[in-house]
Amino acid sequence: MIALLATIKKELLLLLRDVHGLALLFAMPVAFIVIMSLALQNQFAKNTGGESAITVLLDKQSTSDAAASVITALQQRKMFSWQATDSASAAEKIRHDEAAFLLTLKDNTKELQADILVAPATNPQIEAIFTATVSEAMSKQRIETLLRNIKTKRAMENSFSLDDGIDEDALNSNPVTVSYSYQNNQTASVQPSSVQQSVPAWLVFAMFFSVVPLANTLISERQQGTMRRLRTLPISPSLPIIGKLIPYFVINQLQALLMLMVGVYLMPLFGADSLTLGNSLAALALMSICLSIAALGYGILIAVVARTTDQAATLGGVGNILLAALGGVMVPRFVMPETMQTIATFSPMAWGLDGFLDVFLRNGNVIDVLPEAGSLFALGATTITLALVLSRRKI
Amino acid sequence: MTSTHAITVNNISFTYACETRPALDDVSLSINSGSCFGLLGPNGAGKSTLLALLTGILTPQRGEILIHGNPLTNTKTLHEKISLVPQDYAFYPTLTARENLDCFAGLYNLCGTQKKQRIDFAVQVCGLGELLDRRASACSGGVRRRLNLALGLLNQPEILFLDEPTVGIDAQSRYFILESIQRLQREGMTIIYTSHYMEEIQSICDTLAIIDHGKLLLQDTLTNVLARAAAMPALPAQQNAQRLEAFYLSLTHHALRD
Repeated sequence: MIALLATIKKELLLLLRDVHGLALLFAMPVAFIVIMSLALQNQFAKNTGGESAITVLLDKQSTSDAAASVITALQQRKMFSWQATDSASAAEKIRHDEAAFLLTLKDNTKELQADILVAPATNPQIEAIFTATVSEAMSKQRIETLLRNIKTKRAMENSFSLDDGIDEDALNSNPVTVSYSYQNNQTASVQPSSVQQSVPAWLVFAMFFSVVPLANTLISERQQGTMRRLRTLPISPSLPIIGKLIPYFVINQLQALLMLMVGVYLMPLFGADSLTLGNSLAALALMSICLSIAALGYGILIAVVARTTDQAATLGGVGNILLAALGGVMVPRFVMPETMQTIATFSPMAWGLDGFLDVFLRNGNVIDVLPEAGSLFALGATTITLALVLSRRKI
Repeated sequence: MTSTHAITVNNISFTYACETRPALDDVSLSINSGSCFGLLGPNGAGKSTLLALLTGILTPQRGEILIHGNPLTNTKTLHEKISLVPQDYAFYPTLTARENLDCFAGLYNLCGTQKKQRIDFAVQVCGLGELLDRRASACSGGVRRRLNLALGLLNQPEILFLDEPTVGIDAQSRYFILESIQRLQREGMTIIYTSHYMEEIQSICDTLAIIDHGKLLLQDTLTNVLARAAAMPALPAQQNAQRLEAFYLSLTHHALRD
């Protein structure tokens, strides 16, 4: 026990004096959380208008009531930001991607006509949504006109009857309801936001990045001959490894605490949403523990396998970035194509991220996160065992 | 079982994985308790492998090693009795000398008064008193060598393995370290000392062995080896150390080693 405590104390002292290591473990992920949360804010904003709205140039060539009615209907869609324009400069602006669409409303021989000009960089999915939105507004306007005409005609035919049997209010009511799978009764206020995505994502990334200082100390011990000396001490050959894992486990938990506090307290100061932690502290703790075990297993295995710190930095650093890119840390998985989403499930970072999102967004409890936590624990246990076996062969 | 031999090596061989030539081939030697045993050999001769086998880092593929007459089966027991001072600065450069001593004392399961006494002893033997709170990386080569030695004394070993402990330091530090080693030997410690400096071997060792290409070429007392060296022709003007070197070269030849 004394030997283990001595190793833990030594590791903590080494880490405290490694400014780059500390920056990598704490400052880098905090910076990523702040930057990425703010950068992705628009991606997650839903029908809120403002900066996230798609700009549409509106060339109103018709002065009819029908055109006014269509514009009123369209302006209720906060997804789009409308700018009045004239036809002379509008097409040029669209060609230069200054707006996503140009909508021209003009009078045809009998009725209102809508023409849409699409900018080169406009997303095809957005184009489909916009076209449907305009079609819906146009159709609604035509039905309203039609109903008005029918009412007028019937009124003229039977001036004594006030009930024409046509319910005009039904046309304006919305028969479609939208609900979100990540919400339930208890967490109805939780919506995916850039903070809800970025905090767990970069927390996962940060924990896995402990591979760099972890590998540096182990490889330095080997290169400096310290490991050779340690092998002649009356201690278990596993103790130097275990003695490294324990302080880094504590460091990982401090990382988790810091990142969560950044999400809850710091991000609102930047105008972003506050992180919602869900209702199960036990599930959160379980995820944090299992993620740390997996990250440390991955790190210690690389530290044991790599011969130099350069090798470890390449294997660990580049490996982490690949796992992060694949696992939805850098790019949210929901924006990936289906094939990539399937491949992403092989990244342990995706398991970690899914587990945290289960807790944060879906109000998951310990049972809900068991598949992710179990996978992470299994990965960690396997890699740590492998590292312990391999380390005995290296001096 | 007790023995006057601190270490007995019987016909040990060892070949590294992926190597065809054995690093050690059928080596036998014995080291008396309380002696200072010099181990000589060119680079790649097998000295480090022999030290790794004697300190339990490696296990011989053939032959046996006896420590005080007992077969080396339990490395934990061995490691309580021995200490290795590697050629490298085998400590943590960003820690102070005191923190390094504290860490390794802890690794020897030392605590309380015993820990303090052992650290005080190592600090005193190695002359580190004024330098304890300096980071190891900021110390001179001589101080680092002394710290390296001090760490090897924390468990008060019966057998101390010193792998080229004076490489790259000035004459003053070298003299101090050699004096310290002689003092430890006088107090009853068995010393196994490897070096390329013949005058060091001659000044502190009473027995020596020369190995090359994994084979033991010679094991004898320093007196006998010097007598054989003196008997070599055409060396009348040479001092003992030069004679020893000439004798060593006659055994290991002049060809450069990888």
